[in-house]
Amino acid sequence: MPGARWKTRLNLWLEKRFPDSREITLDINRIFIIPTRISAALFIAIIVLSLIAINFQNSLIYGLSFWLLSMIVMAIFYTYRNLSALSIRAIQSSPCFMGEKAVFELEISCPENQKKSAITIGWKYEDMTVVDLQQHHSVHIKLSHSTKQRGRFKPERLSIFSVYPIGLVVAWSYAALDMHSIVYPAPVLYATGEDGLGLDEIAEQGLEISNGTTDFAGIRDYRDGDSPKLIHWGAYAKTGNLYSKTFVDYADHDVWLEWDKLTMPGIETKLSHLCAKVLQYHQQQQLYGLKIPGKTIQPMRGEAHKNTCLTALALFAEGKEK
Amino acid sequence: MFFKGFPQNNQITYAGMLWLLAAQLVVMAPLAFYLPVWLIPVLLLSAGWRIRVMKGHHEQPGNLIKIIISGLGVGALFLSGMELVSLDMIASLLMLGFSYKAIEIIQRRDGVVVILTGFILIAVLFLYSQTILTALYGVFALIVLSGAMIAIHQSSSHQIIKDLKLSSLMLMLCFPLMIVLFLFAPRLPPLWSVPVPGGSAKTGMSDMMSPGSITSLSQSDELAFNVKFLGARPKQTELYWYGIVLQHFDGNTWTQFAQQLDAKAVKSKLKTSQRQIHQRLFQQDGSKGVGLEYEVIYEKSGQPWLFALSPVVSIKGDAFFGNDFRIIANQDLLEPMLLSLVSYPQALRDVQLPTASRQLALQLPEQGNEQSRLLAQQLVATSTSKQDYIDNILKRYQQQAFYYTLRPPLMDQNNSIDDFLFNQKKGFCEHYAGSFVFMMRAAGIPARVIVGYQGGEWNNNGHFLSVRQYDAHAWAEVWLENRGWIRFDPTAMVAPERIEHNLQTAVDKEGSFLEAQTFSLSKNQWLISLRQRIDSTQYAWRRFVLGYDSDSQTQLLKRLFGDLSVQKIAFLVGGLFAAIILLWVVFLGLTKKHVSIAAEHRLYQHFCDFLEQQGISREPSQTPQALSQIAITKLPGLATEIKAFTRVYSALCYEPDQHHLHQQQINSLKKLLKKMQRQR
Repeated sequence: MPGARWKTRLNLWLEKRFPDSREITLDINRIFIIPTRISAALFIAIIVLSLIAINFQNSLIYGLSFWLLSMIVMAIFYTYRNLSALSIRAIQSSPCFMGEKAVFELEISCPENQKKSAITIGWKYEDMTVVDLQQHHSVHIKLSHSTKQRGRFKPERLSIFSVYPIGLVVAWSYAALDMHSIVYPAPVLYATGEDGLGLDEIAEQGLEISNGTTDFAGIRDYRDGDSPKLIHWGAYAKTGNLYSKTFVDYADHDVWLEWDKLTMPGIETKLSHLCAKVLQYHQQQQLYGLKIPGKTIQPMRGEAHKNTCLTALALFAEGKEK
Repeated sequence: MFFKGFPQNNQITYAGMLWLLAAQLVVMAPLAFYLPVWLIPVLLLSAGWRIRVMKGHHEQPGNLIKIIISGLGVGALFLSGMELVSLDMIASLLMLGFSYKAIEIIQRRDGVVVILTGFILIAVLFLYSQTILTALYGVFALIVLSGAMIAIHQSSSHQIIKDLKLSSLMLMLCFPLMIVLFLFAPRLPPLWSVPVPGGSAKTGMSDMMSPGSITSLSQSDELAFNVKFLGARPKQTELYWYGIVLQHFDGNTWTQFAQQLDAKAVKSKLKTSQRQIHQRLFQQDGSKGVGLEYEVIYEKSGQPWLFALSPVVSIKGDAFFGNDFRIIANQDLLEPMLLSLVSYPQALRDVQLPTASRQLALQLPEQGNEQSRLLAQQLVATSTSKQDYIDNILKRYQQQAFYYTLRPPLMDQNNSIDDFLFNQKKGFCEHYAGSFVFMMRAAGIPARVIVGYQGGEWNNNGHFLSVRQYDAHAWAEVWLENRGWIRFDPTAMVAPERIEHNLQTAVDKEGSFLEAQTFSLSKNQWLISLRQRIDSTQYAWRRFVLGYDSDSQTQLLKRLFGDLSVQKIAFLVGGLFAAIILLWVVFLGLTKKHVSIAAEHRLYQHFCDFLEQQGISREPSQTPQALSQIAITKLPGLATEIKAFTRVYSALCYEPDQHHLHQQQINSLKKLLKKMQRQR
């Protein structure tokens, strides 16, 4: 289709024109000015006025129509000024699970001696926000973007536009910020009953340490001082008495989440399953390691470890399949 | 469209709506002078309704109600007695729709419709009135409408003054470009004929003269026309503004022709060519005299009659030559009109008089005014020549007790000439001119009455002559062998002040000048000079702004370039455009190179520069921490400041959640830097 080809070419051109960078300052090379529908309507009104002026040979109406025409030209400069010298800087992005929204934090700033009004920044059909820089010349905004694929997610070009002050023209620009967010696979347990599938065989022979936090060992009567987290609400519901869950830790053995041990079909399914397991173990504060093709992460626990594992899963086979 | 995918809030805010309603009122108010006044209450009711809906007191009216009120409005317009296809009707319908729209201002789109219609209504106002005041009001309305346009594009518009300022500023910046476009954009002739504003009330000189008709005109100080002489100004006594030629007398009233003709027939009967006029004027060599070049701006009169120094030999403008040496407009004057004329007042006119014309100039009613006819016969018998007879008649006005008055008594309908000449002996110019021509014709001398204006007020500020309605005058022309048509003014025999000065001097004793007007402008010297100033402003406005057309444009371009070449014009206009754009760019501060790095980085750069001066240079790979370590060892005296600076800078860069402290931190950086510089 010619339309599609044209679109691709436009995209290529835009990519070339707006190379990625951490910080972008809008200038004359980046800002485009397009008349809006309102100026089209005003233009029609001006034609009507000119016809009246011509037919009645009325100087004042000539003046009026020329004045309005000048206004459209003038609006270009005003609207351009509102967008020029605006800086957009990528601050940080937060990871998310596939299907959730990735959040990007941006800093919008302008030179101290300027004011900016009613600038829309955002992604089409995703998220947008309207920025005013009046008292402060710098502001942080957060924008979210939906994700459809795990991996390194780089949002499309950011649209920045403003019709301020008079709405006759829109000044717009694209900012291809060099920022990305890690999209973890969606955590979905593969329901085969093979719960311990990823567990290392050795686990069963490991030495149990009671009062641990890793594995569920059973329930006992509630004692004062037990953490509410440990209360077995299921048992309470059935019996009306409070019971506490007990956990054990395994000394000297690790839980390994191993790719090769998984039997379910499909790479993404496996990744999702592993992701769910990582979250599960993390919540149980267990020591766990991850072995996937090309990457082995030694057993550890904690937030950073979880993120390392999830990132490894997210970036699995990065650069190969695409 | 571009905005697809970006949900916009298109609702107009309450403040935005108040803006629009105010703008509507501003636009409609002056039109109430020209169109049905009840349209204003319609707007107010609609606006009130809308405000109540917005406050939640009312429902938005349904379609049925809308149809009913629209029907009522349109019906009322049709019953208001306006012509169906007229500018008034079109403008009123536009106003009606504009008023009703107030009920429906909900979306931004509605606001835009109101504002654009408002622009058109300003143009409608300009169709009805083009004074300086109207133009200023139009500018005001334009500012308010653009302010409303700005207001509806903002989410919070509680800043009326700010919006007004911005719109005024924008319009002011647009002004030079508007002027360039106004001066140089090509002007086209009308594309089709259009209905005219305000019907066509006839004012000024009428095309017939009966006793008392010019007297009533003399009670008005309205402007008839302005004249600008390109050469020297002729003497006041020479300023006979030749208007309408009255040839037919029915015993009481002088008219142009024996039968009443409509304007079109009159025009076709009188129309002649410039060549014909030239032939009839310059029959003898050396009879030409001096030419006068001048421009006249005629006020609107609703009539085609024009006034000029006769005979006119060249016309530039929308007028033609009449075969009795007058000029006539192609269309009735519904707008002020500018003509450039050349006259040769001393040229002999019609040295040969065709028989048909002679007969017209000798016409008299069969009977009536017998006493006058008898007197004519007696005088002819005693006179030696035609010239002698004329002198005798004129002398009679002087010697007998004739009075020049603005309050002439009523004359006997059937024998008005007799009554004036023998009984009353009090009259205004029409009495003198009429009786004089009657006496000529009674003696067999071809003569006719001319009505027009005499004199005018010279404006020293603007160097132009204003001729007002009270300068209206009637005089006579007599045809003599070898001399053609010669002007005689019997009024000058009775009241020479009228011709030498003006009407006011002539009737000063009587105190009847402009007696209907309680506020007389003519007494106070200071008021006179003020009025002259205003007059000259208005003259310039008429001449250079309202009168700017394709001819003026051509003249301007010729004056600028000598000859017209597209290249030169393109260069000039292009240059002006570029200059204006440059002006904007500079004014809006778009030329300034903006420091785009954030304040903290700039300050850190200053900090590094400072250390550089102290002999500590920063490696590109060095972190702020590492640099501070080195700096402290080398400058132990500043250790606390260097440490603090580095800490605050790091916090600024790497702790985004401390954003609310931003300004504070920047300030402390500045303070620290100053402190360090002071200590060294």
